[in-house]
Amino acid sequence: MGKVVKSFCFLVFFGVLVEGLNIWPMPNSVNYGHQIMYLSNDFALKTDGSKYNDASGILKDAFSRLLDVIEVDHVIDSNFSHFDPIAILHGIHVIVWSQSDELQYGVDESYKLSIPSHGTQVYAHIEAQTVYGVLHGLQTFSQLCRFNFTNRAIEVHQVPWYIIDQPRFFYRGLLIDTSRHYLPLPIIKNIIDSMTYAKLNVLHWHIVDTQSFPLEIPSFPKLWNGAYSISERYTMADAAEIVSYAQRRGISVLAEIDVPGHALSWGTGYPSLWPSKDCQQPLDVSKEFTFKVIDGILSDFSKTFKYRFVHLGGDEVNTSCWTETPRIRKWLRQHGLDTSGAYQYFVLRAQKIALSHGYEIINWEETFNDFGSKLSRKTVVHNWLGGGVAEKVVAAGLRCIVSNQDKWYLDHLDAPWEGFYMNEPLTNITNHQQQKLILGGEVCMWGEHIDASDIEQTIWPRAAAAAERLWSAYDNLAKDPSQVFGRLAHFRCLLNQRGVAAAPLVGPGRVAPEEPGSCYKQ
Amino acid sequence: MEKEEKPCASLNYFLGVSALCAFECVLFVLQLQLGVDESYSLLVAKNDDHSIIGEATIEANTVYGALRGLETFSQLCAFDYGTKTVQVYNAPWYIQDKPRFVYRGLMLDTSRHYLPIDVIKHVIESMSYAKLNVLHWHIIDEQSFPLEVPTYPKLWKGAYTKWERYTVEDAYDIVNFAKMRGINVMAEIDIPGHAESWGTGYPDLWPSPSCREPLDVSKEFTFDMVSGILTDMRKIFPFELFHLGGDEVNTDCWNSTPHVQQWLQDLNMTPKEAYQYFVLRAQEIAISKNWAPVNWEETFNTFATNLNPRTVVHNWLGPGVCPKAVAKGFRCIYSNQGVWYLDHLDVPWDRFYNAEPLEGINSSSEQELVLGGEVCMWSEVADTSNVLQTIWPRAAAAAERLWSKREATSGKNITLTALPRLHYYRCLLTRRGVEADPVTNKYARQPPSGPGSCYEQ
Repeated sequence: MGKVVKSFCFLVFFGVLVEGLNIWPMPNSVNYGHQIMYLSNDFALKTDGSKYNDASGILKDAFSRLLDVIEVDHVIDSNFSHFDPIAILHGIHVIVWSQSDELQYGVDESYKLSIPSHGTQVYAHIEAQTVYGVLHGLQTFSQLCRFNFTNRAIEVHQVPWYIIDQPRFFYRGLLIDTSRHYLPLPIIKNIIDSMTYAKLNVLHWHIVDTQSFPLEIPSFPKLWNGAYSISERYTMADAAEIVSYAQRRGISVLAEIDVPGHALSWGTGYPSLWPSKDCQQPLDVSKEFTFKVIDGILSDFSKTFKYRFVHLGGDEVNTSCWTETPRIRKWLRQHGLDTSGAYQYFVLRAQKIALSHGYEIINWEETFNDFGSKLSRKTVVHNWLGGGVAEKVVAAGLRCIVSNQDKWYLDHLDAPWEGFYMNEPLTNITNHQQQKLILGGEVCMWGEHIDASDIEQTIWPRAAAAAERLWSAYDNLAKDPSQVFGRLAHFRCLLNQRGVAAAPLVGPGRVAPEEPGSCYKQ
Repeated sequence: MEKEEKPCASLNYFLGVSALCAFECVLFVLQLQLGVDESYSLLVAKNDDHSIIGEATIEANTVYGALRGLETFSQLCAFDYGTKTVQVYNAPWYIQDKPRFVYRGLMLDTSRHYLPIDVIKHVIESMSYAKLNVLHWHIIDEQSFPLEVPTYPKLWKGAYTKWERYTVEDAYDIVNFAKMRGINVMAEIDIPGHAESWGTGYPDLWPSPSCREPLDVSKEFTFDMVSGILTDMRKIFPFELFHLGGDEVNTDCWNSTPHVQQWLQDLNMTPKEAYQYFVLRAQEIAISKNWAPVNWEETFNTFATNLNPRTVVHNWLGPGVCPKAVAKGFRCIYSNQGVWYLDHLDVPWDRFYNAEPLEGINSSSEQELVLGGEVCMWSEVADTSNVLQTIWPRAAAAAERLWSKREATSGKNITLTALPRLHYYRCLLTRRGVEADPVTNKYARQPPSGPGSCYEQ
């Protein structure tokens, strides 16, 4: 009875030739069989032989989340006496080789997942160098499980499984913007949870911008007067909470303070940062105070944001307020700087401050385009303006993160999922050494026109398409996106089942479904 | 509003909240039913020293009143970014509260789009924040049949896919989850129209393979099925009302299918009479199971004199219906589609707020027959990706209309009396992780027009 694969399970959906290989993103190497196993009522975590002691409870919590998620909220109500005992999966045996759970750029995220075929006291196995590899293994395992509506059990089909997996890029990011619209903590946490489903691993937190300054900065406590209102704020403890919540899920938080442009909100609390009352952006390059504030911010950041990198922005700098303000014009003259010289001076000085606090720096690409040869060699250039930049950056020997706006900007609703899927970070980069300088890429959820009401459906499912581009081995990626439509539709419905408001796949970003219908066809 | 006030009572971890239930509450496990006492009083004492723990007291006749009191209390609390503590502003508070209407509903449609259980629970949770107390679950319709019916196990073959389904245990779970929040679940099987999906598992229910709606009135099998479904559902849904639909019945397929036509002739029935026959027969089955039937208003409009007197008429087509229904002695639920259909994206919050269920009803005995009202979330073009933001914040406007006293919500300049509070409330919803649309949207479910504070959008 249990071994009969019900034919309605595997009707060919959208030309997916491989039966039920509904894993997203696609792992490196996958082997499977044709048996079915049932998860036992007391499905358990075993860690015999593991070197990692889980003092912080990361693994235990992740396993508990796994159990929640595979049930997708159905009531499990199975009569296990009906099942052949050799077909019961009793738990997962996890072995982690590293004792450390430090999460940093480049941490080993590989894992091996195996589910043996029928036997006595069968356990699935996950083996990984670090606990973060295990988290990815648990995630993959969760996607192999399905709730059976007839026998109310959770099943794993196509056993035995043998999966070996690791990411192609170490940096697989999502940017959120909490300046254009404040995002409450539960919303941010929901986003972090949803990132784990697609194995994204960096939350680029664009905290502050022109419109509002929501974060508490203890060194300069009036800065958050620039928040939209007294309640649209994050305390430093809130920020630490987000960092911790993310870290326990294998996600690093990259903090950004965008300078010297995009910083008007800083002056609400400290008006002297503005070139003048009537000309409020960029930050006043002529004052020592400006750099004291930056130093204070980065010093406070260094206590909470432990990722190796900090993002210093540097994009879209319109220097007119510098030349139009007499005092600053004079300062420029005295220092023999023209406006681009001053821009360069500002960025490099901010970089030095960041370096002094132990960070490596990421800057938006204009800094490279304008004065690439002067940038600290530790700079990572964040490409956004378009294609063709990454290859120049790595040719110059600098590292790069790819976010070309024509394909990977989520706020561009007319950018379809196919475009997200096909955007290749290593385009035109054939030299192996240069390829290693591409750290990865990031999809950007700018906040001008989204807020808590619609951010999830703007991010998903298009971010998932990019997530596979960044995780899966190049040879496993489809050359024609229509080949993955079925698998991505399935993943979108999985997201919905887990309570993530992922939009229909068909059509441009964030549309309502056109008509009644099955999730799997929309 | 919360910007300038000085806090008068400061709460730390040791908040003492005592709920005093009346004697009866302590002794019996209280049933959640229509008209259960949801009143409460809430007292927050004032302390002059900021660091001393304040005390709050909720007094209620039932635990459900206490739940409402806790919700109100939660809205008096605000996080203070200066002291990093939770504060209650403007203490002391003395609040006495009870709902205006006993039936304050939200309808969810899980047939046009399957809504995962997690999402339904998220909706129920958000309902409790606005003190809505009935989830009208429009489970099945033409497009899909997602619920398990043990007596007729092929019915849920009409689900979109085998994954887009609810087991019986899932339904129990949802009912229980709602009950823990003082929310009743009223189930609906819409018959005889809107039922094409029933035939996927049992094609005999269709008049013919090419003419599939309404359900075949000429067969006993049809009524056996209705009876079987209601028997199974009686075990799951304890609420005293059960919705039998009955809207938009196009009888063409009865007229044009030979065997049904023959049956009509034999019984000397017009199609309209057959419609009545169907509805009344289904009603009897429901009543035999100790339910009072709710039916969409067409049943009242078409054959009011023969409708079972226990029927609750569910108005939807427009205004002016409840007055007629209560004049004839029927209870009524107000859902005038011109103002309370959430899928009508062009109806902004103020029209939800100003809709008055008792409009046109002056006699107080007739007014009592209006149980309340319900906002309807039809899901032809709403699914998991957008249902929450289509419901909120407009449903909150209706929620206040249904809870608060008529004098407080009518005849005022609502831009002053309601909008600022709705603004605050919408931001409160987002802080609780509920996707609520910008309040100032003229058209629902639009993104915010540009960067800005939550309190201004």
